[in-house]
Amino acid sequence: MIRFGLTRGVTAVAMMLLLSAVLFFSTEALPGDAAGAVAGADATDSERAEIRERLGLDDPAVTRYVTWLGDALTGDLGRSSAAGRPVAEVLASRFGNSVVLVGLAVAAIAVLATVFGLAAGLRAGRLGDRLLSSVTVTLIALPEFLVATGLVVVLAHQAGLFPAVSTFPPGDSSWQHPDMLVLPVTALVLGGLGVATRLVRAAVVGVAGSPAIEQARLNGESGVRLAWSYVLPAAAAPGIQGLAVMAAGLLGGSLVVETLFNYPGVGSELARAVTYRDVAMVQGLGLALAGSALLILFVGDLLAGLLNVRSRPGAWRRAEGGVS
Amino acid sequence: MRRAKRAMPGRLLTAALLLTVLVALAGPWLPLPSPTERVGMPFEPASWSRPFGTDMLGRDALARTAHGGRTLVLQALAATVLGSVVGLAVGTFAGLARGGPLKGVLRVVDGLAAMPALLITLLIAAGRPGSDVAVLVAVTLVSLPFSVRVVGAATARLADLAYVRTALARGDSRFAVVRHDILPNIASEAWAEAGLRFIAATQLCATAGFLGLGAPAPAANWGRLVRENAVGAGTQPWPVLAPALLLVTLALGLSLAADRLTSPAGRPRGDRLVSRAGRLGTHGLTSPAGRPGRGRLMSAAGRLRKVGRERNSAR
Repeated sequence: MIRFGLTRGVTAVAMMLLLSAVLFFSTEALPGDAAGAVAGADATDSERAEIRERLGLDDPAVTRYVTWLGDALTGDLGRSSAAGRPVAEVLASRFGNSVVLVGLAVAAIAVLATVFGLAAGLRAGRLGDRLLSSVTVTLIALPEFLVATGLVVVLAHQAGLFPAVSTFPPGDSSWQHPDMLVLPVTALVLGGLGVATRLVRAAVVGVAGSPAIEQARLNGESGVRLAWSYVLPAAAAPGIQGLAVMAAGLLGGSLVVETLFNYPGVGSELARAVTYRDVAMVQGLGLALAGSALLILFVGDLLAGLLNVRSRPGAWRRAEGGVS
Repeated sequence: MRRAKRAMPGRLLTAALLLTVLVALAGPWLPLPSPTERVGMPFEPASWSRPFGTDMLGRDALARTAHGGRTLVLQALAATVLGSVVGLAVGTFAGLARGGPLKGVLRVVDGLAAMPALLITLLIAAGRPGSDVAVLVAVTLVSLPFSVRVVGAATARLADLAYVRTALARGDSRFAVVRHDILPNIASEAWAEAGLRFIAATQLCATAGFLGLGAPAPAANWGRLVRENAVGAGTQPWPVLAPALLLVTLALGLSLAADRLTSPAGRPRGDRLVSRAGRLGTHGLTSPAGRPGRGRLMSAAGRLRKVGRERNSAR
């Protein structure tokens, strides 16, 4: 288990390095552009040269990458070229809001997907399962921004139930404006629910045919008790991994949803930085989001490893002893 | 009876899908007003001369919708073709390699496949703002891990079979083995995988347009049309509704078509979509390529080799 965790950890770090390199080299503007942007249009050649020197733009790209990564590790993500604020400060002020948004969505999806997935998986092939499967396929097929825009148009513009824009004063936390959270969270939930439900269903179907469940059925277990005490523990490992992949995917979805609702989170800030070509901001926020996604996937893998019954011989023996 | 009943909406959706693709590709040739010229007040209601009314800057919404699909469809198509070529090249050789650095490549690829596609697309395309090609490259790169993994897994299943081992053992080059023994046997999986990547690519390209990536502002793009006109959707829904409906038709029609073409009878609908979307690498929960390819069609050369090997073998 420790070995498993270590391998996963090393893989995650290697991927973080790879992603940071991709991020840095794809967003790094050509040196002339960056110097020109800082110096302004009517700077003299010597001023430009001085700025290039100061920003280290004459160094080879690899050196700049290593410097950037080293600074990032110590918490210095550079300064936004648009507003001049330190990127780390912007990140700190937005991160909590994004965590609230994505966290609420993940919690709602986990509950709903477990209920729907169990219900469909234990009745595989019947009418309810087929209906649910049509709904989830539709949800998966639709791009997130269409679902979110649909919610805004119907529930905010037409019905006027909730605000169409979720902007609140900078000092406030999102908890103080629950009405502004309803639509963004719903949009995220609809975006991730289809995938999550199908993953849970697949895990449940895989478990439902196993000898252990058959034994439980023969012992007279059925309904909620069968689902809760027998199927769920056995299906938990792949289910949790599926939820982790889904939760990481929601970070991508939050880009869309936060931008659409103008919600003050990391995702909308990143999309804005891309629009304004704010390189330091894109790199810093991108690194933070990619790191968060990797962390979620890593934790999901670890939890799945811990929950996987087969990797615990002791648990196997206990289970067998309990049945007889 | 039930078949006929279930086939009807499916056929309608397929027809709608073909129509949507046609509108997307041929739209810019239709005799419509300019998509960038202001012809009236913002958000004018629909009328005979302007069936969808005007958009947020007073431009003709119908013309903008007609111009907004071509880039999207071509981008997705090009990304799919490009991804298939690279994915097949890397996937087959990585799948044939036993151990060694190429297996390590597959490991990293597995990890990358689980990262949120939209985030990675944005980060790659961010470096060249306003470029449709950047979006195309980003979408290709993002979908590559999936392609490499599916092709690699399909190849690895064949790599252990007798005729492949025989071919390698008697000194056929790797390229020849891939060409004659592997590719013909993974063709159906490769097609199915390309179909799923095309669906994902259309979604990603549309979302990229929504986020403002790709060709800058006056250019029309269904994703961006939805976003820029959402403000006025309460008073004038058509500028949003038209591109949104086209995108919905495209998305649903494509996934239904892919599902029908790829899933063998008896599998629950949409399983492959989930393997695309779920992309779990490690526990074999959603192996996208289905069952091992033992009973599959083999190339003629492969079949001959297999027969020869079986005749010669001691077993």
